[in-house]
Amino acid sequence: MFNRKRFTLSLTLGILTAAVLIGIIALFLILLLIEGGSDLTAPNKKIWRILGFTAFQAGLSTLLSLAIGITLAWALSHKSLFFGRSVLIALLSVAMVLPTLVAVLGLVTVWGRRGWFNEVLSTLDLTSGTWIYGLGGILLAHSYLNAPFMARSLLQRLEGIPAEQRKLSQSLGLTPWQRFRFVEWAAIKGSLPALCSTVFLLCFTSFAIVLTLGGSSKYNTLEVAIYEAIKLDFDLPHAVILALMQLAVCALLVSVASTFRLSSNAIDQRRFNLVWKEPRLTAFAQGLIIVLFAAFFLAPLVAILTDGINADLLSLFSSSLFLKTSFNSLALATASAFLTISLAMLLVKARVNTLAPLRLKQSKSSLALRQVLSFSGSVYLAVPSLVMAFGFFLLARSLFSSIYLVAPFALVIANALLALPFALAVLGPAIEKVTVKDDRLAFSLGLSGWSRWRLLEWPLIKPELTFVAALSFCFSLGDFGIIALFGTQDFATLPWLLYQKMGSYRTDEAAAIALVLLTITLLVFLAVPQMRKGNPHA
Amino acid sequence: MLEVKNLVFRHPGQSQDYKFELSIAAGEILGLTGKSGSGKSTLLDLIAGFLMPVSGDVMIGGQSLLPLPPEDRPLTILFQKNNLFDHITAAQNVGLGINTSLRLTATQQNQVDQALDRVGLAAAANQRASSLSGGEQQRIALARSLVRNKPVLLLDEPFSALDADTRAEMLQLVREIVDEKQLATLMVTHDPKDCEALGATKTTLLQGKKSLTFAQK
Repeated sequence: MFNRKRFTLSLTLGILTAAVLIGIIALFLILLLIEGGSDLTAPNKKIWRILGFTAFQAGLSTLLSLAIGITLAWALSHKSLFFGRSVLIALLSVAMVLPTLVAVLGLVTVWGRRGWFNEVLSTLDLTSGTWIYGLGGILLAHSYLNAPFMARSLLQRLEGIPAEQRKLSQSLGLTPWQRFRFVEWAAIKGSLPALCSTVFLLCFTSFAIVLTLGGSSKYNTLEVAIYEAIKLDFDLPHAVILALMQLAVCALLVSVASTFRLSSNAIDQRRFNLVWKEPRLTAFAQGLIIVLFAAFFLAPLVAILTDGINADLLSLFSSSLFLKTSFNSLALATASAFLTISLAMLLVKARVNTLAPLRLKQSKSSLALRQVLSFSGSVYLAVPSLVMAFGFFLLARSLFSSIYLVAPFALVIANALLALPFALAVLGPAIEKVTVKDDRLAFSLGLSGWSRWRLLEWPLIKPELTFVAALSFCFSLGDFGIIALFGTQDFATLPWLLYQKMGSYRTDEAAAIALVLLTITLLVFLAVPQMRKGNPHA
Repeated sequence: MLEVKNLVFRHPGQSQDYKFELSIAAGEILGLTGKSGSGKSTLLDLIAGFLMPVSGDVMIGGQSLLPLPPEDRPLTILFQKNNLFDHITAAQNVGLGINTSLRLTATQQNQVDQALDRVGLAAAANQRASSLSGGEQQRIALARSLVRNKPVLLLDEPFSALDADTRAEMLQLVREIVDEKQLATLMVTHDPKDCEALGATKTTLLQGKKSLTFAQK
């Protein structure tokens, strides 16, 4: 009890933060229900069909990403020595933050009707047609963005296989298939439910990809349907039904997903520099897999690079619209990143008081408090960007005359909230570890306040903090869900401008803008000195 | 039975040489002690074929092992931990020592049962390896070495992770099996007591300026 006073400030701030966060989501729900009002009906057949397709494409996308992810991780884990391996692996984690529209543009340049692939085919008088607009394109783009994330996480698992088991499987003379069955499958299967449910959720709520590549309304997902109801049909009650539906399904998905914890078997840190001696055919297959994947993954990026450079970059850089938009994008992303970190730190610092035995007495009320603090942040995992944007849209309309006055604030806050669950997942364990491990020593030395932060916490959690900052900056920079509702000629971000150019077939300008976005993302994400490896949900 | 002749090894990028020289007769246990990181396990990796030496030779029964891949070398190795594949049963883990596709004939199945019985774990046959205690896992691994039936046994600190009682049981079991099968046994350990308990001949590491040498006295 003597400790309670000491932590009153951090607890109070944390509880206030949690109250605001829960308040926002409650307010959105109320606004949705009021807007829906008496028009609120049970979902009709059309909506069920959209839901069906949304789940269908998300399921297929997850399976595809999983297949590519496992194959690639397997090949990479066996080829431990080749030129460019570490670069390729670093690029895999960039896929997670790649602005979706940049990926789409790159993929269309490579796989589209007049893309690179068809150009090669046309020399043989063949063509693969325009399959990219429709289910094919949706699946392609979803695997493009999610398979690398899968591969990266699974590779980490495979590299954690104890040296003894590798030696053992050599000693017993296991074939590659037997080794997969007895050793490697065991290492990865524990993380599959969590990985798959994460990817499923991402594909289920995917917006920009379906909007640009979906083609006809046959391939609508809930997110796109919400967008169309608001922006094109001005049918807000319909949008409300869709949004409530989307929220309900996402809440269900998240609560199912949260029961899958990543099994954290101790990872063997000793690097065993044993070079696998593979049967020739297997070794060849592994090499081929890596080359094919590298081509699949790099080609769209190279396409952006070459098209962007060939476009008239100079005239783009001198256009005042572009400059203003770039400034907007950078300022909003920076503000979002700051807000994400502040919110996350407030919650995490308060929550840790309920965990550390030297701080608060463990009781029912401290447990409840901890759960409220956790819930207030991670609940936003269940709020997809279009629903979030819709909430801010309704809020702005009911409070202010013009929604465009509040657009910048909505953008910063919405993007910060969307990144918050990831920030909590990374920062939470890091701070907890420091606190639980070093509390006794720190208290006995009287280390507190600023000196505690400077000497103890900052050095230990710096990698996590910079990672979260980069992550939320890139999320916000590449966002197209929120700006889709709030963007205008007078208030735009780079992705919004990119979408306009893509829509009006100004491919040169589109490529140049995409190049700028890609460059910023790569710089920010790869410049993070100590890339914290792996899955943000870990 | 097992002979290590003028064996020299150097880690890539390092200047220090490891030198090894020893010979072990059938039914004999040679204990290798020395600080961790001193290269004890390196010797086992060289004999088992996970690492290739710079020069020298390793022979079993007068035949050089160097041209053989790990799976064709007539030996069994037992590690400190992770000797079993966690998600298959104890019996399957033992069965892998006979046939890696796990398609066993009735006779082979019988062999597996006998080996499990020999280490006192017949009842655990159908349990997943991950559900067994550390000591039981080591005994299952020992059962696998029984069905593999190779003349040389390499022990890489297989007792270190066990509590005192389990450790004593394990040591006893190893001694019996070595006698029964007349195995030439090389044991790496950081605890000289293991050597005494097993009645092993002892060898320790000699540290020179440029090289680390293990040589039998």
